[in-house]
Amino acid sequence: MNPLQDATPRPPKYPADLDASMILPKQRASPASSLASLPYRRSNPSLQKLFQSTASISGSRPSSGTATPTPSTVPGSVFSPGGSTQNGTGTPGGLPPGVTDEHRNLIQRAFVPHVAVLADEATEEMLRGKGLEGGLLQLLRPFGELVPGKVTIRDSVGAGRSHEDFGIRFVGVRDGLVPPTAPGRNPELRVETAPGQLQGRAQSQARGQSQVRGLSSGIPRPQRTGGHVPQIEELVDRHLQYSEFNSHDMVPDYMNHKEEPAQSDVSSSPFHTLYLRRLLSGLPVVSHETFAHPVACVIAVSSRHPNPTEEIRKLYSLQHDGELRMPQFVENDYLRYYVLVHDEETGDIAHSNQTFESMKRHFGFHCHLLRLKSQQCIPSDDDSVRLPTCEWMSATEELAEIQKRETSDDITDPTPYLPDSDITAIRTFVRELVVQSVVPNMERKTALWNEQVLARRRGLSGRFMSLSKRWTPFGSSSRNSSSPAVGSSSNYDSLGEFYTPSAPEAVMRKLADYSFMLRDFKLALSTYDILRTDFNNDKAWRHYAGAAEMAAISALLAPGPLSSKSRTENVDSWIEAAAYSYTDRQLKPTPYFALRTLALGLELLRLRGSSAADDAARWAARILEMGIVGPVGHALFTERVSSCYAIRTGVGALALGSRRRKAAFWAVLAAENWVRKGNAVQSERCLDSALPLYGVNVESVVPTATATTSASMGMATMSMGKSLTATLPFPQMQAFIDELRQAILSLRLQNRGIGFHGDGDEEGEFDTETINAGSEKGLERSLLVEEATETLDKSPRSHRKSLIGASAPQPIDVGPRSPMLERGEALKMDDRFE
Amino acid sequence: MSYNFTILSPLDVPLFTHEFGTSRSGGDGIARFTSTERAQNPFILHSALDIVEEVQWGPSSTSGSAPMYLKHIDKYQNNFISCWITGGNVRFLLLTRPRDEALGLTQGGGQRGSLAGGRAGLGGGSGLYNPTSPATEEAVKNFFVDVYENWVKTIMNPFFAVGNGEVVKSPVFRARVAAAAKKYL
Repeated sequence: MNPLQDATPRPPKYPADLDASMILPKQRASPASSLASLPYRRSNPSLQKLFQSTASISGSRPSSGTATPTPSTVPGSVFSPGGSTQNGTGTPGGLPPGVTDEHRNLIQRAFVPHVAVLADEATEEMLRGKGLEGGLLQLLRPFGELVPGKVTIRDSVGAGRSHEDFGIRFVGVRDGLVPPTAPGRNPELRVETAPGQLQGRAQSQARGQSQVRGLSSGIPRPQRTGGHVPQIEELVDRHLQYSEFNSHDMVPDYMNHKEEPAQSDVSSSPFHTLYLRRLLSGLPVVSHETFAHPVACVIAVSSRHPNPTEEIRKLYSLQHDGELRMPQFVENDYLRYYVLVHDEETGDIAHSNQTFESMKRHFGFHCHLLRLKSQQCIPSDDDSVRLPTCEWMSATEELAEIQKRETSDDITDPTPYLPDSDITAIRTFVRELVVQSVVPNMERKTALWNEQVLARRRGLSGRFMSLSKRWTPFGSSSRNSSSPAVGSSSNYDSLGEFYTPSAPEAVMRKLADYSFMLRDFKLALSTYDILRTDFNNDKAWRHYAGAAEMAAISALLAPGPLSSKSRTENVDSWIEAAAYSYTDRQLKPTPYFALRTLALGLELLRLRGSSAADDAARWAARILEMGIVGPVGHALFTERVSSCYAIRTGVGALALGSRRRKAAFWAVLAAENWVRKGNAVQSERCLDSALPLYGVNVESVVPTATATTSASMGMATMSMGKSLTATLPFPQMQAFIDELRQAILSLRLQNRGIGFHGDGDEEGEFDTETINAGSEKGLERSLLVEEATETLDKSPRSHRKSLIGASAPQPIDVGPRSPMLERGEALKMDDRFE
Repeated sequence: MSYNFTILSPLDVPLFTHEFGTSRSGGDGIARFTSTERAQNPFILHSALDIVEEVQWGPSSTSGSAPMYLKHIDKYQNNFISCWITGGNVRFLLLTRPRDEALGLTQGGGQRGSLAGGRAGLGGGSGLYNPTSPATEEAVKNFFVDVYENWVKTIMNPFFAVGNGEVVKSPVFRARVAAAAKKYL
């Protein structure tokens, strides 16, 4: 993995050095390397479950749009920028055809209130007895992700709206904190993944120990903190490899892959969704945004404890100002929610009820009695339910989990099972927590801050205040004495780069974030906008970037239509400013946030259809140019550019204003990227989506009308003396794509590795060599090179014949080998058509 | 600087391709594309046609008249595309790949660490390649005008059926394109 730190756009490498790049697949220098290089055990069911999110590549995903774009729904002169007022004004509700709402929902569900979980020793003890190593947090986490039933939220004007998919995120008390040595949050992409991997392994082993110690978690446990791009890359790479090695056999794949585009969403690969999801998982606690700051804290004590009330007080003080306190910039007076965990089997319910009553008297309304069974449940029990998998794990965590399961010999699923009654109890608890405490509390605070801080700031006097702050002559004369005017007049601590939680700017940021999490995007947008100017005046660049980012995202998430003018003038400049301020204006650049800005901006713009898709593609290309992603991200976002362009359909018979050719070009680039990364399946998918865009029908011999005419002309002029066939306009392009196909093919064969027994004699040669080489990666690699150069040769067939003998039969298992390929070989003789 | 000049028929079939380098400021007129860039060029040119069509059929920026010279229209990474459209909807595309120095890409390793690096240098410095500067636009325009004249002469040849997408093979035409390139670019 290269750091790709500078902004120099690097030209992609092309097949001249393709063979060279094939010699050097990903180097894993860690002890896990030998492990990682082995094909995955196919029969490990527990591992398979982890890869489920991407395993179901086609079908089964909800799709609200139709798969085939119909040009008739596109309004008038869509292709002209600024020509029509309807340009790109589509609301997110009215989606262009072929687009699903998936990513919008994903983004909405990513920014949710965080609730810290703190439990006493007895509770953790009891839950460990149930087989939950992670204690209460592990138990609650999956259930917070989706609150059962509808959650009604009142916005700033008092109108209630119900949401089906509201959730909260349960986190550890000090999760998401950045180690003090790196306050700048991942100032750079790590150069190599090996240490990260080691770390992950070490953590996965150390995790058990650290959690045995339970409460003494003064040590930050960084594995639940996301926001580390190399880890995300590594994880997605794992998923890719898994799908690569465990995909269907080649032959059924060949039969099926014709139908695939019809089933799945035309545009998004599950891996991109995973990438986005992991990008948004485990948001780090930072000073310039408050999404990861806890909105509430669940403090749980066991009923076994002799004096629960006292224990709660102890935990509270530990967390409020003891060693578990959040850093300076986090407001400390958030909601505390007290839970008494009652053991159904050994505890006395009467006694628990009594304790609970006294708790209620002491701590007020925000209490809950959670009744759990303490016995361990096994899968074969009557009403046992598997603990659901966490959707929003951070990349580091999931990697550690994968590694743990890969290394363990135990093929049974280590996920604990729970009795049905427990699940119901937890569901009820979570719903009550959210509906009765967290959401009303946030609503109240939003309203309060709106009245006390925002309204004042917005009013006449507030404007004057900010004016007087900007120009000292208008302010009090005493300011003149202090030399650094900015430092003295603003609340910004430029050394620590934060605002104290009580400063109006910090409160407003919190207000904006709260309203964003409560999905009141209008209020959020207007607040972010005010904040933007404030932060700008204070030269608080990271805060400024954060406000600009969220302003753009809330503008795009707001359900109303967005005029093309405000889109190009505001949203674009906000995204631009955010990406720039997150990186170039920082002493310690935070590429993670820049990546988040661009990736979210591009997804949301893409949903707005037609001309907004152009901008979306521009931002995707910007991600590549800035070099803030590794190889996996590079390939994924290249693919994304293509799908952004592909969404723009033209008008009229000539499809004017479409970006067909651009989409095809980027799809080819993506295919090439995947080949270089060694992912044949992905590469093939990209290439198959590119060729129809070029007007070349991959499978059928009968080409489309336009392709026929153009090809016929091309053919005539090239005097090939061949019948009408569909080829690309440029012969060089055709040659390039043919070479790419060959490369994919050889890659596929190589990825299949040892599974060749009893194939045609051609492969037999390859096979024996593989066996000789054993599973040793180095040798296999050299073999690969040999194979690659062979197939990339000008005329592979003749070369092979010389090796094997005159009558080499056509290989049976060579996979999707279209007639076009044969033609391509013939064409290659005539590269330069003049 | 390296150039790739391509003439495309209305149906996107390439009719003529010529690669050359700059002859200005001591250039020897030889194209210096790397092999990867050379492989990519057809794709870039072809994808630029989307923008060509949009500019061609979109609302006119110059009131009333429809110019043949569309100026700089597209960019992929460091490749800049200029376009000229003839009356018969034949597209002349000129792909310009400035040297790295002209893009501010090779200015020392000092900026390597900062993300600011190249782009900050790109905006401010003088002597960097700017596709929309009047001098560049004028030079490209002169080149296109010259080529267009020769193109018209070529297609007036009764034995040359340009309507059928016939590839231009005339060595005279190639020589004249090369001459125009040497003169202006």
